[in-house]
Amino acid sequence: MRNLISRRAGRVALLAALAGAGGCDLDLTNPNSPPEDLVLTTPDGIIALAVGMQGQFAGTTVGTGMVLNAVRAPGLVTDELSTTTRALAADRSLVTGVGVDASFGVVTSPYTTAFRVVRSAEELLENAPNVGLTRGMLAGISATARTFKAMSLGIAIQHYEQIPVTATQDENPLFPRAVVLDSVLSLLEQARADLGSVPAAELADFNARVAIGYNLGDVINAMLARYYLIDGQYQAAIDAAARVPLTRLNVFSYPDPLRNPVWGYSQFSLDYVRGTQEFVAEADTSDDRPAFWLRLDQATVNGSPAVPLRNLRQYADRNAPFPIYLPDEMRLIQAEAHTRLGNLGPAATLVNAVRTQCTPSASSGNFTEPVACMPALPADRLDTAAELLAEIAYQRRYELYLQGVRWEDIRRFGTAVAGETPSVTWFPLPQSECILNPAAPC
Amino acid sequence: MRPTRLRRWLGATLLLLCGALPSRAAAQEPYTITGTVLDADTRAPLANATVQLRTGAEGTAQRTVTDEAGRYTLRARVAAGTYTLQFSQLGRGTATRQVTLGAAREVTVEPVPLAAAALQLEELVVTGQGVPTERREVGNTVATVRGEEVNQAPATPSVDRALQGRIAGAVISQNSGNPGAGSTIRLRGTSSILGGADPLIVVDGIIIENNTDPLISLGSNNTRQGSAVSSRLTDIAPGDIERVEVLKGAAAAALYGSRANNGVIQIFTRRGSQGEPRVNFTTEYSSSETPRYFAINEAPRAGLGDVSFLRKPDGTAYVLGDPITRFNVQPQIFRTAPGVNSHLSISGGTGGTSYYLSGGWTDQEGIIRSTGHEKRTIRGKVTQQVSNAVEVAVNASYIQSRTQYQPEGEQTAGALTIALFTPTGFNYAFDPALGRYPYTPVITANPLQVLREVQAEANVDRLLGSVQTTLTPTDNLTVTALFGLDDSREANLFLQPPYSTGPAFTGSISNPVRSIRKSNADVTANLETPFGDAFRLTTTAGYRYTSDRINTIRAGAENLPPGQEVVGGATQFASQGITELRTVGGFLQERLAIADRLFLTGALNLEASSAFGPDERWQLFPRLGTSWVVDEMPFWDNSGVSSVLSALRLRASYGQTGGQPPAAYGIFNNFTDVIFGGRPGQAGSTVLGNPNLKPERQREWEGGFDVGLFGDRAMLEFTYYDQLTKDVVLLRPLQSSSGFDVQYQNIGEISNRGIEITAGAELLRRGGFSWNTRMTYARNRNRVEKMRTAGDTIFSEYLNIVAEGLPVGVFYGNYYPRDAQGNIILFPKTPQGAFIFDPTICPNDPARACYPGRAREGSTILRKVLGDPNPDFTASLSSTLSYNDNLQFSFLLDGRFGNEVANFTRRIQDYFGLSEATEEEIAGTVPAGYYTLNAERHLLYEAFVEDGSFIKLREVALGYTFTQPWVRGRLGAESLTLRVAGRNLHAWTDYSGIDPEVNLFGGSTVARGVDFVTTPIPRSLTVGLTVNF
Repeated sequence: MRNLISRRAGRVALLAALAGAGGCDLDLTNPNSPPEDLVLTTPDGIIALAVGMQGQFAGTTVGTGMVLNAVRAPGLVTDELSTTTRALAADRSLVTGVGVDASFGVVTSPYTTAFRVVRSAEELLENAPNVGLTRGMLAGISATARTFKAMSLGIAIQHYEQIPVTATQDENPLFPRAVVLDSVLSLLEQARADLGSVPAAELADFNARVAIGYNLGDVINAMLARYYLIDGQYQAAIDAAARVPLTRLNVFSYPDPLRNPVWGYSQFSLDYVRGTQEFVAEADTSDDRPAFWLRLDQATVNGSPAVPLRNLRQYADRNAPFPIYLPDEMRLIQAEAHTRLGNLGPAATLVNAVRTQCTPSASSGNFTEPVACMPALPADRLDTAAELLAEIAYQRRYELYLQGVRWEDIRRFGTAVAGETPSVTWFPLPQSECILNPAAPC
Repeated sequence: MRPTRLRRWLGATLLLLCGALPSRAAAQEPYTITGTVLDADTRAPLANATVQLRTGAEGTAQRTVTDEAGRYTLRARVAAGTYTLQFSQLGRGTATRQVTLGAAREVTVEPVPLAAAALQLEELVVTGQGVPTERREVGNTVATVRGEEVNQAPATPSVDRALQGRIAGAVISQNSGNPGAGSTIRLRGTSSILGGADPLIVVDGIIIENNTDPLISLGSNNTRQGSAVSSRLTDIAPGDIERVEVLKGAAAAALYGSRANNGVIQIFTRRGSQGEPRVNFTTEYSSSETPRYFAINEAPRAGLGDVSFLRKPDGTAYVLGDPITRFNVQPQIFRTAPGVNSHLSISGGTGGTSYYLSGGWTDQEGIIRSTGHEKRTIRGKVTQQVSNAVEVAVNASYIQSRTQYQPEGEQTAGALTIALFTPTGFNYAFDPALGRYPYTPVITANPLQVLREVQAEANVDRLLGSVQTTLTPTDNLTVTALFGLDDSREANLFLQPPYSTGPAFTGSISNPVRSIRKSNADVTANLETPFGDAFRLTTTAGYRYTSDRINTIRAGAENLPPGQEVVGGATQFASQGITELRTVGGFLQERLAIADRLFLTGALNLEASSAFGPDERWQLFPRLGTSWVVDEMPFWDNSGVSSVLSALRLRASYGQTGGQPPAAYGIFNNFTDVIFGGRPGQAGSTVLGNPNLKPERQREWEGGFDVGLFGDRAMLEFTYYDQLTKDVVLLRPLQSSSGFDVQYQNIGEISNRGIEITAGAELLRRGGFSWNTRMTYARNRNRVEKMRTAGDTIFSEYLNIVAEGLPVGVFYGNYYPRDAQGNIILFPKTPQGAFIFDPTICPNDPARACYPGRAREGSTILRKVLGDPNPDFTASLSSTLSYNDNLQFSFLLDGRFGNEVANFTRRIQDYFGLSEATEEEIAGTVPAGYYTLNAERHLLYEAFVEDGSFIKLREVALGYTFTQPWVRGRLGAESLTLRVAGRNLHAWTDYSGIDPEVNLFGGSTVARGVDFVTTPIPRSLTVGLTVNF
């Protein structure tokens, strides 16, 4: 009997120990994030990735995203933004142009962030066709992926003289500006074709679940207009801009827990970065827009370097939306393209339309488009190309403040017309790219 | 190592079998040898003494232990003949008796007395090999600390601190003087960079959690590791510990496989033995205080710090040299802290059942007001002999603890931090006009307000349990199956009410909860096979499965209403993270004993971990060892040296172990939550998965000798070891245009080489007097052999770096410019206060006001290695004097030599003008601004790196044990011991701060030796009482 008990007890204990061993399964999945094969092989996974890619572009928390990069460096190297303290050594180096280093986050981020978005876009383009999405959803996601890839490359090529046009861990050749712009425009045209390939009704699900807070068609056309202009294809720029409705404001929204990246940059971090008083001082006295963009009701503060600075009035709320483009940029693109094509008459009309607008016609959330509410300029002040270009440069400066276009505008208009010399001409390629990409020319 | 088909096949087999083992039996009619073992002095029966039949030529060693009455019964299946019976016990000498086994199968041996001895050479049994083994058979060192030493270490309700100074080669540092604060343990140096460097802790076969990751940041700022982290080792009540064994490196720990790169600490708790119930009650009262206060500026006139930050009581500004009243707030922050620690245990056994039950209670207040540590433990261990062949043991303990902290270090709500950022002319006193304590000028918060309002605590509930079955189907086969569980929940709280730290502060609360479940299942079989005349083969095979799951849920809120003490208020947030890790493995070990004098051990351990890539999953960890007991060789007794050299053993050992990669999911391409426009999305992580990730692999060989001198009245153990850890995981950057940032890769190499010496001697034994002494010495040379690239440098926190050719964590930073004679060059300033970095001006113009600045070349600031937080060597000396076993006096000196400390406490005091040195500015010896508000000197780290060598009087104790008749008559007790003891009573050091032992960055692997307003380790005095029934 006793022997029996002992045997049984022994067996029970052994079994208990082995039961603890479970299936000895060592192929665990990461419970904190869905596995690659779930995200890339299911319709819901692809939709989540399409949403996430836009989040990578728009920014989610303080200090992330392509939107911040589009605003930050072009603002700091020109007369839009400046720093209040030596503590932000990297940001300050962009203001002064002294000591800009290829390891600074502000210098590397436009590049690294762009290729994170490009990587997500390419994952989408590669996998979306294979997971059984509806026709409308597939068209919409393909168009979104191409648009965001194009916008990311477009922002990056305004910072660096040459960049790759795809994301890969292999040797990644870099291309000069003209080639990159061709890629950007070709991606945007394909995106436009994607959207046009299905009836609008089939896009309803896509619009509700992926293109949140904006009209993708508008954004594609606006970006086509922006990059055709930069690329010097003026008629194409005019055509694309004309397709963009001026009464609709397309924005990225930042409901909690998201944070508007410009708020995060300028307001959250103890007001270390502010707008310049120079922006106010050089404005026409009849222009309403300096008071729209900056807090003229507050005293200036002394920055470091020592210039007077002002708090931002826009994006003062952490949940404020950010406009993907402003409608009047379309008028100004057409005006500039017409001017450069020699059609001065239509150009003058468009410039005056921007000058004289007193009532905003587009808004979204708590962001309303800026209006100049200036008197029209007489015809004799806008009857030469030089006069028109100078006026367009002025209008772009005040209409499109912190839209990330000022640096590129100065390149196009020249210092004399734009009234500013950027402190940095081009960014050096990021250090890690230099060292690790054999194709990088540095 | 390349994956081979064989290894995969072996692995698959292991998974299938999960530990099924063959058994072999030897058939022979056994002899039964009985007898008793006595204490040589008192003639009292001695329990738990080991009795072994040394069968020399024939091989098999039969072994048993004595029961409560000192009796033993040894069954031996041996041929007739004369054998040696060996008697031994931990902390006592060895005795031998010849026994002749003939026709009679029952043999009785005369009672054998065993004397207490200083020597612990080959008597001990160690368990580091999976099954209990005589130390003499093992080719590597296994450091052992007896339970009594752990129990009697004064004012240490935690095991880690009780081990300080007792193990050669173990550097054990208490990171902060906060009660319940964790210790960092380094065995033979650091061999990882991104991974942890603390050893694996095993309690009664259960691999327990010893996580030092802080849930809330109370020391360093929120992005860093904190210092005031409780160590989960503190959960084990020292009173329950029977012994601690330390396996220091790969040569010893290969059977622990892929988790043993940092060594293993095995703790064995007490168990009951047959006999009447025995009751032990210990209670002690302690009093702790800071060794001293931080030295502060006490000059009676205003200096630059006062002028810059303070206002006179009438509201007007100070001018340099104005009379000023100084305030020292430290007496209101520090206090003399009482503590109570009690422990009760009952053990005994009848009829095949033995039990051990205990309860412990600790309530220790901290030397900083509003801090303290409370702990309750309950433990039960029941062993049932089911039959001759089966024993089942159930072991369970429950621990509940509550530790109250205060922020310190970089935390702006730290009371001491505020005190050392505030010029000493500031009056902290309650301001009736404000209705509160005034805000301070630099950090804003007032330490007195903070100590009243800020709450930070950790509440731990923990269950440790195991079921163990031991089968002995035949005399030479033992199979043990163990299932262990460590289930704990740690709930923290960090509450800073509105306005507690500043007029605009709206309050914050953080309430993270971490649940950890670790379980392991082990099956070990041990088979002894004699063959031939002189050989004995011991085969040990084992199987081990471990599973860890850590679930961390963080809830927090900001913008709190007054009185809010749980998560709530205007802004709330929550997050969750889960980490799982599983390992499975099996080992086979063969030990060959030749003539019971030469021992050869070889083992293979095959292990797999879920954190290794699929192609690298199965990893093989081999070990080899040899031990040669020279003094038992036939030639020894006649060699002439034996009169001096009474014992000599030579040993050598080689082994490999692994370290888990720092990221449990580093093999995957992970996706992360990315929200857009209020909708959930996913995007690829910037960390590229590495499907080839494998363990950090350590290989170690060690060699040494154990020597007994003058009839074993003195002993010496010497060990040399050489460790090389390859495949150390580092984050390798990837080209930005890949869309990734980094990837975990097995790149680095780190070496540790050193020697360890332990020596002991019985200096005196005359009449009732005995005087024993023991010393340890260890030196380790740590070196990073390989990094990602030749010039690669990884920075950690302020100034610790990892770079090729240097020890891990050396200090690196800005240094003083010096002239050819080595004198520091000072620089003048412009009238606007900007430095003029022209080294020629000041030396030629003695009348100028000149200030220290950093060395530079053009506009480039120069940096260099400034020091090393790793000690050159550590040493300890302990001694025990006793008289008639009643009166006992002992002390322990523990020293660390040649290590540097970055004194960032002094750095901040200098900058804000409240260090002693800044009095020089007020006295006019140096210009105002020489130290105070000198931003150049503030970044000149050379000025703050100091020698941190110290010798601490760790322990000193005086005890008297009453065994007189009145103890039994009045109390019904066997003995009563009264003790007075002190801990850390004095430190001999040139360090200018209070305590060179603390570290701001707690358990950090790389960031070591930084003292930044970290609570000093207190000195404590204890009065204790122990009663045995």
